[in-house]
Amino acid sequence: MTAVLELPAPPLPERRNVMLVGTMLVIVAGVTLFGGLLAAYFSARNATVHAGGTWAPEAGTLPNAALAITYSALFLSSFTAQWAVSAIKANERRQAYVAVGVTLMLGAAFINGLSFCWGQLHLVAGADNYASYVYAISAVHLFVVVAAMLLFVVMGFRVFGGQFHARNAEFVASATAFWHFAVVAGIAVWWCLWFLAGGPTS
Amino acid sequence: MAMTETRPAPQAAAATAGAPADRAGLAGWLSTSDHKRIGRLYIATALLFLLVGGVIGELLAVERVSNGFDVLTAGSFAQAYTFHGEVALWLFLVPLLLGIATFIVPLQVGSPEIAFPRGSATAYWSYVVSGGLLIGAYLANGGPSGGQPAAVDLHLLALAGLTVATLLGLVSVLTTALTMRAGGMALGDVPAFTWSVVVGGSLTLLTAPVLLARLAILYVTHHFGGSYDLNDYGAIGWMFSVPQVYLVAVPAAGVALEIVPVVSGRKLRRRGASMVIIGLLGVVGLGAWAQVPSSFDDFLYVAIGLAAIVPPLALLGLLADSLRNGRPAPRAALLLAMGSVLLLLAGAAVGALSVIDGLDLRGTVWEAAQVHLVLTGAAWLGALAAIWWWAPKLYGVVLSEAAGALAFVTTFVGTLVLAAPDLVNGMANDVPLRATHFGSSGARALNAVSAIGGGLVALGAVVVVLSLLAAGLRKGQRAEADPWGGHTLEWSTTSPPPPSNFSAPVPPVTSPTPLLDEVDA
Repeated sequence: MTAVLELPAPPLPERRNVMLVGTMLVIVAGVTLFGGLLAAYFSARNATVHAGGTWAPEAGTLPNAALAITYSALFLSSFTAQWAVSAIKANERRQAYVAVGVTLMLGAAFINGLSFCWGQLHLVAGADNYASYVYAISAVHLFVVVAAMLLFVVMGFRVFGGQFHARNAEFVASATAFWHFAVVAGIAVWWCLWFLAGGPTS
Repeated sequence: MAMTETRPAPQAAAATAGAPADRAGLAGWLSTSDHKRIGRLYIATALLFLLVGGVIGELLAVERVSNGFDVLTAGSFAQAYTFHGEVALWLFLVPLLLGIATFIVPLQVGSPEIAFPRGSATAYWSYVVSGGLLIGAYLANGGPSGGQPAAVDLHLLALAGLTVATLLGLVSVLTTALTMRAGGMALGDVPAFTWSVVVGGSLTLLTAPVLLARLAILYVTHHFGGSYDLNDYGAIGWMFSVPQVYLVAVPAAGVALEIVPVVSGRKLRRRGASMVIIGLLGVVGLGAWAQVPSSFDDFLYVAIGLAAIVPPLALLGLLADSLRNGRPAPRAALLLAMGSVLLLLAGAAVGALSVIDGLDLRGTVWEAAQVHLVLTGAAWLGALAAIWWWAPKLYGVVLSEAAGALAFVTTFVGTLVLAAPDLVNGMANDVPLRATHFGSSGARALNAVSAIGGGLVALGAVVVVLSLLAAGLRKGQRAEADPWGGHTLEWSTTSPPPPSNFSAPVPPVTSPTPLLDEVDA
């Protein structure tokens, strides 16, 4: 009599960071998205100025203090996001919960702050070229931050589920890379749209 | 008692873990995340949208035969014009090529599935929904200068949806090519078609977000009361004109480089050069920077316009060398592929002339002729070559050679007849783009010839659709695994492939032509 016993299947060939590479491709697309937005912004500003028009509102009318706090909150979230990666790589689950939670709170603070700043602008999109560009670019950036937050929410649930550990942190690294991209894009947007246009130094 | 221990093959495990067999029937198609089914869905849907774009194209052609308006009004003519371009590119050619890539690339790199299969499915359904919304927006008078503000907003949102869907689909395909290759297969060893998808896809990933940026600004401006008319359309119109349209033809070059060596029965000589040529073709197709009229005077614009002729010329030389040194079998796919490269060369030559300042061809129908040569000619013929070549994998049958030859003749000749009158009208009569009034009877007669060319292209499309319908119903010669004597991995699996793509483990790949190496060994 011959008995045939099946052993477990051998492992598939190791994939080369599928999630991370996919995220990097999305980030590359995101970089050109913001490159396109800011190039269009400066192109429109040049055209307006050369035509003798005024571009941004006069100095002092932008809510500079609120804008600085809002974008600072976003900037800080980069550190807490990285803290989450470090905690998971060190198998420190409790620290990871805190880091993910604080990062999400800072993201929510940014959304809240930006909506407050929009309310303080008193500019009408469509009627004013500067306003159209500012609302369009900052809204696109807001979408990116919301997407990053959704990734972190998924990551948070999976951390609670115990799915990640030091040797299985690709999703965490990918989500964090996207978060960093959202922060860097935010800094670029703040610098170009707010600081150069009517910030404290102008 | 003898005891035998067996270990299931990795691919079999993948069939149960990574790529489950889909449910049968309609529910299976609606919920599928199998890249093969998604690829077939893309192709079928793109051909449906071709019907829409073709009807609009012929309406425009008929309208241009007379002086004034017979069928359309001035407003609807302008909207039909932009709609025709958007359908041709975003609803038809790009999704068609993306569908072929979604199907073929995982097979070519020896992967049991596509990266992010649900992302790929989401991309397809986003394309379908956004395509429907785009048509709905135009029907509700929502194109550029449209009379219904909500429909105009919808038009911009639909275009944004199509752009995001394309980007999502590309990320899946590119990640597959970059990370899921069979063991031993270096990126430089991937088949020519996969390489062309990597080049064309990467560069689209760099340029399509710029379109998205423009759409976001136009949407906010228009939604809050600003203008959005044909002058503003220039901010997104670059996507549908030269040099950006060259990017759509990049996969066609990859298809030709797949077919010619196999049909000739020889390995492609100077494979490295062919990879560089594909890369160069992609680089000249980067057109996101050429958005404003002032950029047309830039040295870079002129240099790229003139340089664009080099990659197709070099490609043609390489392919001719392969054909000369081999014993080419007369196949429909070969005709279609060579026709595609010839029309790409013609399009690039026409483009090179258009950047010469003294000829004053910019803004005339000369540009429309060039876009037709590149898109209707090179890209569409390249896609047809791919469909005829990979039909055994796509549908499990070999498509009729006679139908393929007929599709080639009608499309190739039709494209030339469609474009040539516009070249004459652009050069001799200075007929502007989107012209509606033609004082000269000569110009109107040429427009009539152009309409006949469009009709020939449409006839070719009917032949293609009928052939694919027959293939979908599995009417035709059943295909064996490798009916052509192919060189690359997709020909090592059954036709059509099983759910997990390969029924046996793919051995390590050590060259760009693994199947040819097996035969040599």
